[in-house]
Amino acid sequence: MCMWCERFGEGCERWYFNPSNYARRLYKVRRAETESAGAEANPQAAGGMAAAGREYLEAAERGDHETVERLKTEAEQRSWAIHFGQVLTIEDVHQILELMYPIGLMTCACRRSMRGLADEENFTCIGMGPGMYKWERWPDTYRGGVQFLTPEEAKEAIDAMNRRGLVQCIYTFGTPYLAGLCNCDYPDCGGIRTVQDMGIKVLWKGHHIAEVDPDLCNGCALCVRRCQFKALTFSPSTLKAYIDPFKCFGCGLCRTVCKPDAVKLIDRASRPALSEVW
Amino acid sequence: MPLPHIVVDDDRCNDPLSCRICLLACPTRVLGLGTSVGPEKYKEIDPHRFVVRGVRYQVCSGCLKCVEVCPTGAIEITFDGSKTA
Repeated sequence: MCMWCERFGEGCERWYFNPSNYARRLYKVRRAETESAGAEANPQAAGGMAAAGREYLEAAERGDHETVERLKTEAEQRSWAIHFGQVLTIEDVHQILELMYPIGLMTCACRRSMRGLADEENFTCIGMGPGMYKWERWPDTYRGGVQFLTPEEAKEAIDAMNRRGLVQCIYTFGTPYLAGLCNCDYPDCGGIRTVQDMGIKVLWKGHHIAEVDPDLCNGCALCVRRCQFKALTFSPSTLKAYIDPFKCFGCGLCRTVCKPDAVKLIDRASRPALSEVW
Repeated sequence: MPLPHIVVDDDRCNDPLSCRICLLACPTRVLGLGTSVGPEKYKEIDPHRFVVRGVRYQVCSGCLKCVEVCPTGAIEITFDGSKTA
């Protein structure tokens, strides 16, 4: 079972469907934590979008597994307390957009850090909840400002980003306070990079996995360029899509473009060997 | 695989947010743009306070494209202590 649903689900089907996780009172936790992290967090944490610094990379480089494990655990504990994410399906997103308010389209801090993307080209992030009303107070956190959206407008905006190939992820800001609906890709998303390149789980796999029905797959390979997690390849021997279920994050981006409807999202819990692969 | 040392001279790298040439040149996004100060209330951060740093050292191949494209020669990359630029 998903640890976060267990801790913060409070009877809801998923922890991110629990309205109390979008509540105002939790927001303060994040401020205290961030401030105690201090200036040292910059630019490595605030701007560099990496959960662990050079010490971690050096330990990995010299094969010091003990130090790697210690630093990884520290980075994960820190991230899980303050700021981590989980991959969502588009159906999850639509359901979430019905239960929280307000919804703000804002600029993506990762792409600013990775590519210095100008504000006007960078509106790919959705912020949620009372934090959105603080955009004028913190102009640099909300660079470029915030465009408030109705739930219908937000669905349209996120559907368009999904078609474009961006993965939907929900993020905490002082766990379990949920306030970010990110639209991510590799290599520009700090979360995907940290989990894929460094093996530090700041982004959890979602509650589904994608499966290909080989009888329906027509081998068009449109899905291959969609996977941001290196889980989907094209098999030259069968001429069909191949999904590694242990690598799949369950975002469903491959499914969005599958014309013969050969990709199905199945519940992670329905596969004993995958039910604890997060 | 040795990790590179990446040193950016902040005096020469004056306004990386609007320049960003090195960030775009890097094939693997080794570099990160951050700030030397935290956000302040009702105030955007002074452009001179933005800094470029090596972040994802493990994916630096040593191509030195960032060093080549930097208009002010602010980036220096060394492997194993030996200067390559």
